[in-house]
Amino acid sequence: MGLIDKGLMPKPLTSLFNMGRSYSLWVYQWGLACCAIEMGAAFGSPRYDVMRLGVIPLPASPRQADLVVISGTVTDKMAPAILRLYEQMPEPKYVISMGSCANCGGPYWDSYSVTKGVDQIIPVDVYVPGCPPRPEALLEGVVLLQQRIKNEDMGARWRGEGHKAMVREPIVVGGGPVE
Amino acid sequence: MAPLSNATGTTDAEVPALPGDGLREAVVADLRSNIGEALLDVRLDPGVDLWARVATESWRDAGLALRDAGFRYFCFLSAIDWMPSPFGRGEDDPSAPPPERRTEIVQGYTGGSTRFQVFARLTDIDRHVGITIKADVPDDDQAVDSWTPVYAGADWHERETHEMFGISFRGHPDLRNMYLPTDFEGHPLRKDFPLLARIVKPWPGIVDVEPLPGEPEEADTEEKGE
Amino acid sequence: MTDLIDRQKLSYIAAQAADARLNVELETEGMTLNIGPQHPATHGTLRIIVRLDGEQVVWADPSAGYMHRGYEKLVEVRTYPQVNTLINRIDWLGSFANEVPFILAAEQLMGIEAPARAQWIRAVFFELSRIANVGLFLGDLGVQLGAITPVFMAFRDREYVLNLIEGATGGRFHPNFDRIGGLKDDLPKGWIDETRQVMKKQRQFADEIEDLLFGNKIFQDRTRGIGVIPAAVAQSYGLSGANLRASGVDWDLRRDQKVALPYDQLDFKVWTHPDGDCFARCWVRLQEFREATRIVEQLLDGIPSGPVMAKVPRIIKVPEGEVYVSTENPLGEMGYYVVSQGDLGPFRVRIRTASFNNISVVPWVLRGVYVPDVISILASLYFILGDIDK
Repeated sequence: MGLIDKGLMPKPLTSLFNMGRSYSLWVYQWGLACCAIEMGAAFGSPRYDVMRLGVIPLPASPRQADLVVISGTVTDKMAPAILRLYEQMPEPKYVISMGSCANCGGPYWDSYSVTKGVDQIIPVDVYVPGCPPRPEALLEGVVLLQQRIKNEDMGARWRGEGHKAMVREPIVVGGGPVE
Repeated sequence: MAPLSNATGTTDAEVPALPGDGLREAVVADLRSNIGEALLDVRLDPGVDLWARVATESWRDAGLALRDAGFRYFCFLSAIDWMPSPFGRGEDDPSAPPPERRTEIVQGYTGGSTRFQVFARLTDIDRHVGITIKADVPDDDQAVDSWTPVYAGADWHERETHEMFGISFRGHPDLRNMYLPTDFEGHPLRKDFPLLARIVKPWPGIVDVEPLPGEPEEADTEEKGE
Repeated sequence: MTDLIDRQKLSYIAAQAADARLNVELETEGMTLNIGPQHPATHGTLRIIVRLDGEQVVWADPSAGYMHRGYEKLVEVRTYPQVNTLINRIDWLGSFANEVPFILAAEQLMGIEAPARAQWIRAVFFELSRIANVGLFLGDLGVQLGAITPVFMAFRDREYVLNLIEGATGGRFHPNFDRIGGLKDDLPKGWIDETRQVMKKQRQFADEIEDLLFGNKIFQDRTRGIGVIPAAVAQSYGLSGANLRASGVDWDLRRDQKVALPYDQLDFKVWTHPDGDCFARCWVRLQEFREATRIVEQLLDGIPSGPVMAKVPRIIKVPEGEVYVSTENPLGEMGYYVVSQGDLGPFRVRIRTASFNNISVVPWVLRGVYVPDVISILASLYFILGDIDK
């Protein structure tokens, strides 16, 4: 698809692709700690069903996933494993950081073995605050991510400026509308 | 529906009475007859609990004696560092000089004379009584005998105590780190191991002075800190 | 039980001899396999390094610490109410149960007795956390053995219990509802009737799971006779909870130790099983799940009226002393050895968690089993990573 990275794709087609991508996100099944239970409730319980948003929680391997939700405390011992699994995901990939521990260290901010936030290791797109955040909050994070994907510039991402573009303003759930 | 298991299932047996004082005193007398002089101090709260301190050389013998007396359930094993923390709770103003803190070492129940003590908790399931047993760890050579020949479960507990306090256990088959990565420096549960995050940015007390995300910064923020 | 162990031993010896002969003929080498730290079948970040000879495990070593957050150091710099908030997150499925032994320990050191109504309501929430925890165990049990349907049912039925807890405390889990001296609030109006309805639904869920899973031939083949732990080994490793009772040891802290919660005024059964294999552990937990619903109904019938909070000073300073309090948590025996030197916060807390001891038996029990049985054994031992790693 040489047209995309040169920026020669017509706008209606890129927005069609973006819409298609945002409504078929495959989430990597991975939970670390307590937030994983709320994530499981969001994914697996019929009440907060996440499949109605088009997010499919099926892949158990990072090679087939586009979205990973880091839910739970990230420790220094676990950090290399997280980085390795993130690198195994193919582009375009998105990261939702769920819960206070993954956002900034959370209640364990002063611990000797906790990484203060997963954004020290991998770039994050959406922060979902809470301890643990309700499943509805995670769903709102997913919806905000979908809005961002719809407005995304595929050319910039393909050229590899994707991560630079992500650094500008990660979304915080509850922090206002997203453009 | 047909039962899935041929288990007897429930226990409707007579429940033995909870231990009165005589039982704990019998436990102490039994231990004293087994290890004699090595039983240094005993604290018995009637109807509540039992603590005992033994000499460091008889740490393993005391374990064997208790196990043979019926304390076959191994609850846990760990250590205490009795030195008061030189860092306090990390709530002090860094610009002010550090406050006066207590520095003398005061041991708790059943006394002791060293900075570190190992302690273990054992339970006797048939007589429904538990005992907490302690021993001093000598300051110069921080090592005690391992309890792995006595209870198989002491293996993991001693690994954790070793990495958290730096106490080594003689005779342990494989004393490596349990929780921390192999290249971690220091022994975290010692009182002189600082929590760096609290030193870099002390906890500001009860008041949260930052605005929530989405709220505008107020023009007249009054200082509400400690 | 002895002939089950003998049969299992003989079959393993025969299998090992056959495999060894094959390995010598084929000149195979062993392989080292990493199960975890990310694996769909482990409850979180547990890494088990196994050395395999063909399909059999020769040596297994669980490597914990991927969720080690340093609780015992963190609680030394916090005050007692702050510690209460933090320890909710050790066993993160049945969170109220983590607060209870710590609060009881602090109350014992201070010499405060919570009023009777508070103790009964604490017991209700304690059993509700057991129902939430074991409910998810029953669902996860299916997933780990390959049956995906039970987990959806478990999450659905768990939502009822979480609704109850949220209605009374404000938090789905991590309620942080217990206070030194009692509880934060009284129960809302209509809560008791709704709890009775929910307990009926939970018993229906237990029946559904038993129908769906426990009678299934695949489940029986994968769990009967696998991972037998004799009673003496279980005691020397300090296994607790359903793991101990499934090996035939009759020990339940609710009945056998003096706790402030009103279990001595209730009539409940303690379930044991003589076999000690995976099936026994799963079966005992299923029965305990049902028993917990009955206990809740008895408690609801008898809650006394009165205040829910005793008179405690506003700033809590616990006098000097040491105490060990342990309770029968959903995962096993959880206890706190609290050392206090008269300060606003504890001097040293040793958190005795059930899963740490439960998983320390893994190197012993995994010798000679086949790789799929590793997952069955881990599923039946049932640990929570926060409980192992503190």
